[in-house]
Amino acid sequence: MRNLRFAHKQMDDTLRKSIFEVLMKFAFPVSNGLQIFAFEYGQVFPENGWKVYDAVSEYKRQGIPNESWRITKVNDHYEVCDTYPSTLAVPVNIPDEELKRVAAFRAKGRIPVLSWIHPESQATVTRCSQPMVGVNGKRSKEDEKYLQAIMDANAQSHKLFIFDARPSVNAAANKMKGGGYESEDAYQNAELVFLDIHNIHVMRESLRKLKDVVYPNIEDSHWLSNLESTHWLEHIKLILAGALRIADKVESGKTSVVVHCSDGWDRTGQLTSLSMLMLDGYYRTIRGFEVLLEKEWLSFGHRFQLRIGHGDKNHTDADRSPVFIQFIDCVWQLTRQFPAAFEFNEYFLVTILDHLYSCLFGTFLCNSEQQRLKEEIPKRTVSLWSYINSQLEEFTNPLYVNYSNHVLFPVVSLRHLELWVGYYIRWNPRMRPQEPVHQRYKELLAKRAELQKRVDELQREVTNRSASSSSERAGSPTRSITPVQTFV
Amino acid sequence: MLTGSKTTFKVRQMLPDIKERMLSQSGVNARSRDVFGLRCLPGECVLQRAVMVRKKLTAREGRGWLSGTLFCTHFRVAFVPQDSPRPDDNADPVLLGDHDVALASIEKVVVVGPNRTKLVTPNSSLKFTPEELVLYCRDLRVICFLFDRLTPDAQVLEITYTIAKTYQPPKPGSVLSFQNAALGSVEMKQFLSNRRRNAHMNWYESVSDWEQELERCGAMGWRVSSVNDRFEMSTSLSRFIVVPHKVLDTELKKSFAHFNEGRIPRWCWRHPRGSDLLRMASFQNNIYHEKDDIRNLEMILFGCQSSLCVVVELAEELPSPADIQLAHSRLRALCLGDISTSVSVPDDKWLSTLESTHWLDYTRSCLKKASEVACLLRGGHLTVALQEADDRDLSCVVSSLVQVMCDPHCRTQHGFQSLVQKEWVMAGHRFYSRINYHRDNDKEEAPVFLLFLDCVWQLLSQYPSRFQLTDDFLLALHDSIHLPLFSSFLANCQRERCKRSQNLGQSYTPVNGWRDMLHPDSSSDPCDPPLPPVWDWDLQYSKHRRDRFTQPVPPVPPLQPLLNGNLNTNPDTHRLADTLPGSVFLLSRGTFSCPANLLPWRSTSSGPYKKSHRRAASSENVPGLERLLKAWALTEFPQALTSTSGPQGPLDPYEPLLPLLMGPCMGLWRECYLRGALHAQAFSHPISANHLHPVERLAQEVQQLKDKLAQVSTGTDGIPSTKTAEPRRTDANLNQNTNNGTFLFPAVRPQSKAAPRMTPPPTSTTTNHQQTSRGPPPASAPPSRPVRRDNGGGSNSGNKHTFLFGHSSVTEARTYPAPNNAKLPKSNGPSLAS
Repeated sequence: MRNLRFAHKQMDDTLRKSIFEVLMKFAFPVSNGLQIFAFEYGQVFPENGWKVYDAVSEYKRQGIPNESWRITKVNDHYEVCDTYPSTLAVPVNIPDEELKRVAAFRAKGRIPVLSWIHPESQATVTRCSQPMVGVNGKRSKEDEKYLQAIMDANAQSHKLFIFDARPSVNAAANKMKGGGYESEDAYQNAELVFLDIHNIHVMRESLRKLKDVVYPNIEDSHWLSNLESTHWLEHIKLILAGALRIADKVESGKTSVVVHCSDGWDRTGQLTSLSMLMLDGYYRTIRGFEVLLEKEWLSFGHRFQLRIGHGDKNHTDADRSPVFIQFIDCVWQLTRQFPAAFEFNEYFLVTILDHLYSCLFGTFLCNSEQQRLKEEIPKRTVSLWSYINSQLEEFTNPLYVNYSNHVLFPVVSLRHLELWVGYYIRWNPRMRPQEPVHQRYKELLAKRAELQKRVDELQREVTNRSASSSSERAGSPTRSITPVQTFV
Repeated sequence: MLTGSKTTFKVRQMLPDIKERMLSQSGVNARSRDVFGLRCLPGECVLQRAVMVRKKLTAREGRGWLSGTLFCTHFRVAFVPQDSPRPDDNADPVLLGDHDVALASIEKVVVVGPNRTKLVTPNSSLKFTPEELVLYCRDLRVICFLFDRLTPDAQVLEITYTIAKTYQPPKPGSVLSFQNAALGSVEMKQFLSNRRRNAHMNWYESVSDWEQELERCGAMGWRVSSVNDRFEMSTSLSRFIVVPHKVLDTELKKSFAHFNEGRIPRWCWRHPRGSDLLRMASFQNNIYHEKDDIRNLEMILFGCQSSLCVVVELAEELPSPADIQLAHSRLRALCLGDISTSVSVPDDKWLSTLESTHWLDYTRSCLKKASEVACLLRGGHLTVALQEADDRDLSCVVSSLVQVMCDPHCRTQHGFQSLVQKEWVMAGHRFYSRINYHRDNDKEEAPVFLLFLDCVWQLLSQYPSRFQLTDDFLLALHDSIHLPLFSSFLANCQRERCKRSQNLGQSYTPVNGWRDMLHPDSSSDPCDPPLPPVWDWDLQYSKHRRDRFTQPVPPVPPLQPLLNGNLNTNPDTHRLADTLPGSVFLLSRGTFSCPANLLPWRSTSSGPYKKSHRRAASSENVPGLERLLKAWALTEFPQALTSTSGPQGPLDPYEPLLPLLMGPCMGLWRECYLRGALHAQAFSHPISANHLHPVERLAQEVQQLKDKLAQVSTGTDGIPSTKTAEPRRTDANLNQNTNNGTFLFPAVRPQSKAAPRMTPPPTSTTTNHQQTSRGPPPASAPPSRPVRRDNGGGSNSGNKHTFLFGHSSVTEARTYPAPNNAKLPKSNGPSLAS
C-alpha cells in the first residue's frame, strides 16, 4: 500500500518517454505479451519448496484412507472438475461413477471433498460449491446420498451442518443463476447455516477504502471512525466468526460440516483453512502452514491469477479481490491472540503477502493445479517455500510452544480485533519502527537455544550426579565446598 | 438475615460487636481461618457465605470457571477456590486475595435470573433465585459468580442481600467505616504501625530525600529549601522545595505572593544534558512588582541556566480536568457494557464510539506535549518551566511523563514510585478531590492520574523492552486508586497528610515523617486507623502478584549516577549559545513566541530589564528553537539505527522514548478497560488472549532458563544449608498451584528475586556456572526435584486440567471448566509435554 513517485531531473523528453514505456512494459508483462519474471528468476536455494506439499502424504498424515474415507483418482486428468486437484478424498461407499453425477449437480463440478478429519471423533470438514438448485428447486438423489454418506462417516453424530458462507439474501439470489442452497427438506438431518460473509466485490471495495484511509495521510482525530467506515475489520470478524463456528461444531459438537459459498474457491477456502488452523496444530508450524496454503488455496483452485492480476495492467478488473490478504489478516489476528501458538512470526506473513504480488516466485501464479501443471510452473520457476525454508530462522517465532493437540478458539468481538498496522501502514512516512523486534527475535532465539542446550547439559549432569552421590550423601558436603572456592 | 445494626457501620459500636462475633466464631484466635478456608483479617468477620459457587475467570486468568466458596465480610467479597492451599496463619495479612474484591470498589450489584436481570439495591427484594451474580467495580472490573444448582437457595439469596446491603454506597462517611472495617482493629493498627516503609524508593519527605534526588540527577546549583516547612508560604506545596543556590530564603519568601497559591517555580528534574525542568503556577497579575522581587523571580525562573528559559503553557492544548472526567465516564460506560440495562454498543459502532469518548485523543495530546518538552530538554542547557493555572493537574502529568520518557530510572518500579511520590503526591495533586472518594464533590472529580497511567501504558506498549515495570504494575496501581485506604491518595497535599497523622497522636518530626515514630498508642485510640501508603504492596497483593510487577530481566542498563549535568555527548548539535542571556520564550501549539506579557513584571516594569529583554526577544532566535522542536520527528532515526545495528551499538539510555502518535498507533488498554466485558466472548471456551509483548515473554523465558542454570549449578555447588531449602520451597509452590487449578507459576519464579537479580551479567554467570558444575559431585543436589523441561508445564498432575499455554509464563495458564474437560480428551495436561 504505497505509491512511489519519482521526479525526473532535467532530461530530454524522449528519454523520459522511453523510461515510462519500459516501466509500463515490464510492470505489466502479461498485458504486453511478455513472461512473468518468475520464469527468468534463476536463484538456487538449498531447499526445494515444490516438495513441501504432497497430497497423498498429507492425507496420510490425517489418517486417510481409513474405513470410511478413500482417496480417489477420478479427477486424475481433471475431467470431473478442472479446478480441483487430481487427488481427492471422498466417502468410501460412493463409487466414482456416482461422483460424476454429484459433480453435475454442483457448480463447476466442485463436489464435496474432505479437507480435514478430526483424529479422534472422525468429524470432518468438507468443502464444495453451491448446489445447482435453481429457481425450480431441483434435487439430486446422488448429492443427497453423498451428503448422507459424509454424515455417516462420522459415527459420533447424526447431524450434518452445512455452512453457507454467503448472506442468505445472496444465496437466494443465486437461484436465479441456477445455483442456490440445500433445502433442509431435501437433506435430512442437515442444518443449513448462513455465515453472512460478503462477496469479493464488497471486499475489494472495503480494501480500497482502507487504502484511502491509511495512505498517504492519516487523519488522527477521525482515525477510528474512518477505519470503521471501511468495514474491513467487520469483514475480518465475520470470517473469523464463521471459522470459529465451524471449528466449534467439529471440536465440541463432534459433528461433520460441509462448507461452501458460490463457487467454493474464495470464502470457502478462507473458512476451511482458518478452521483447520484452529483445529490442527500442525498447520500452525511453518511447514504445516505452507502445506495448508498449498492444499486449501492452491490445489483447490483459488484463482490467484484472477484475484491478484499478476502482470496485468487492467487494475479495475472486477475479478480482483483481496480474498487471500483477508485470510492472512485473519491468521495475523489469531497470532495476536495466541502469540505462542504459531511457529511463524509476523514477518513470515508479510513475506508471503509481498511475494503474492512480486511474481518473483512461481507459487502464486495461475488459477488452478491443472494450469500450473500445464505451464510447468514447478519446473520453470522457484517456489516461495524454497526461499523461506532456506532461512527459517528469519521466520521463526521464538515463543512458539509445540502443543499440536490444542484447539484455538479466538475471541471474535471487534473489541479484540486490531488493524494490522505492521502491514497496512508500514509505508506511511510517519511510521517508523519503534523497536527492532525482528532483530531481537533472532538474538533471543539464538540465546534461547544456547541456554536451553546448557540447561540440558547441566541437568543431565545433575541427575547423573545425584544418582551417583545419593549413596554417599553423608560424606560429601565437606568435599563439595572446596571446588567452589577455587574460582569464586 | 442481618439486622440493620450490624450492617451500618458506626465504629465505636462496631468494635465490640466484632469482638463478640470473633469469639463466638473462631475461639480465641483472632486470626484463625474460617472453616471454608477464608483467612480473615484481624477484626474481620464473615457475614455470609455461599458454597459451590463458580467464578468466571478473565482472559488474564486464563478464562473458564473456577469453583469455590463465596464469602461476604464487612470489608470485602471474598472467593476461595476449592482445594486452595491452607493459608499460612503466621504470614502477614494481605488485604485482598487474588479473587477478592473490596466492598468499596463495588459500584453495582446485578443478579441474573432464569430469564431476567435485576439491579440489586440495599432495599430491593428478589422474587427469583439468582443464577448469576455480577459485581461491577469502580476500577472497571466486572466479576461474575455463577451459583450452582447445589448451592442452597437460601444461601444464594442471603449472600446477594448481604452484599447489596453492605457494599458501600457512595456517600460521605462510608469511606471511614470502610477504612475501619479494613484496618480498624487493634491488631491491624499494631501491625500497620510496625511496618517499615520501602527503603528502595525515594519518599521526598525529608531534606536528604531531595538531596539524594539532586545528586542522582547531577543537578548543581540547586539547594533544598525548608522555607515552607510549616506550610506558611504555600499550603499546597510540599514541605521542602528545590530552588537555585543563589536565592536566599529571605528573598525566596517574597516571591510566593507572585504566584497562584504560592506555587513558585520549583525544580523537578535535570536532563543529563544539563537542562532543568521546573513547574510553577500562573502569575498573580494584580501585584506590584518591586525591583528586588523581579530580580529574585528571574533568578528562580532561570535557575542555574542563565541563557534561556522556555515557558510551556499547558492549558491550551491539553484537556481540562472536566474534559478528562467526561471522557473517562464515557469510556467506562462503553467498556463496561451493562447487562442490567443491556445497553451495550454494537460491535459495528465500537470504533466510532470509542473515538467519540476522546479518551485516546487526550492521551495523545498529553504524550505530544511531553514529547515536545522532552525534545526541548535534550537540546541542553536551558530551563523549561511548565506553567499551569494551579499547577496541580496536568503539570503533574506532563512533568512525570517527560521523566518517564527521558530517565530510565523512572521506568523501574521503584523509580516510578518515587516519581509519582515526587510529582503527584508531594507536589500536591488533589487526589482526594479528583478521585472524589466521598462522592460529595462531583464537580472536582477527574481521573487525571488514570489518564497519566494510560499514557505510561502507551509508552510501555510501544517500547516494551525499555521498561522494568510491567503493565501488571500499572494495573495494580490503577486498581488501588479506587480503594480508599491509602494515605497517598486520601489527601490533597502534604499538609493535609501531616495534619491527619498528627491527629493520630504522633508528634511531628520533619526528618523522619510519622511512620518511623514509635508505635502510636493504640489504646488511646483516635477515630481513624493509620493509613498505609499505596506503595506498601505487600499489604495488598500476594507474592506472586507482586512478582509480576517487574520484568524478570531488567531491561535498563545499569544506572550509574551522573556526576553533573555536563554529560553532553554531542554538545554542538543544537547549540543555542547565540541566544542572549535572559531570553524567555513561550511554547504554545508547537511554536515559540515571545509575547510581551509573558512575564508580567517585564511588561509593566520599566528600568534596565525591560530594555535588555526586549532585545533578547527579537524573533531571530526563535527559529533555532523551532528547529530543535521540529527535529524531533526525525531525531529517532539515529536511535533506530544504533539499535538495529545490534548489541554492539550501545543505546544512549537517556535518549527520550518518543512515542508514535498516529491514530493507528494509539492503542486501547484492553487489559484494563475490557477486563470484564462479558459480551466479548463468543463462546465460553477458555482462551488465552494474552497481549504481553512476545519479546518480553522471551526475556522471561531466558531469565527462567538462567534461573534454572543457577539452580542447577547451585545444586552442584552443594552448600546444603541454603540450597536444599530452595527446591523444597518451589515444590511446595508447584503443588499449591496445581491444587488451586488456575495458575501455574514456573517453579523457578519465586526464587528469581533471591538469586538471579543479583547475579552478574548473563555471560559471566553462565560460564561461571559451567565451571562450577564441573566440580566434584555434591551432596545436596536435590534428588527429589523433578527435572522440568522448559516448556513442560506437564509436571502438574493431569487430572487437574491445568497446563501452560506458553513457556511457563505466568499469565498463560489455562483452565478448562471441569465439566467440559471430560469431553475434551485432547486437552489434558500431559498431552502437552512435548
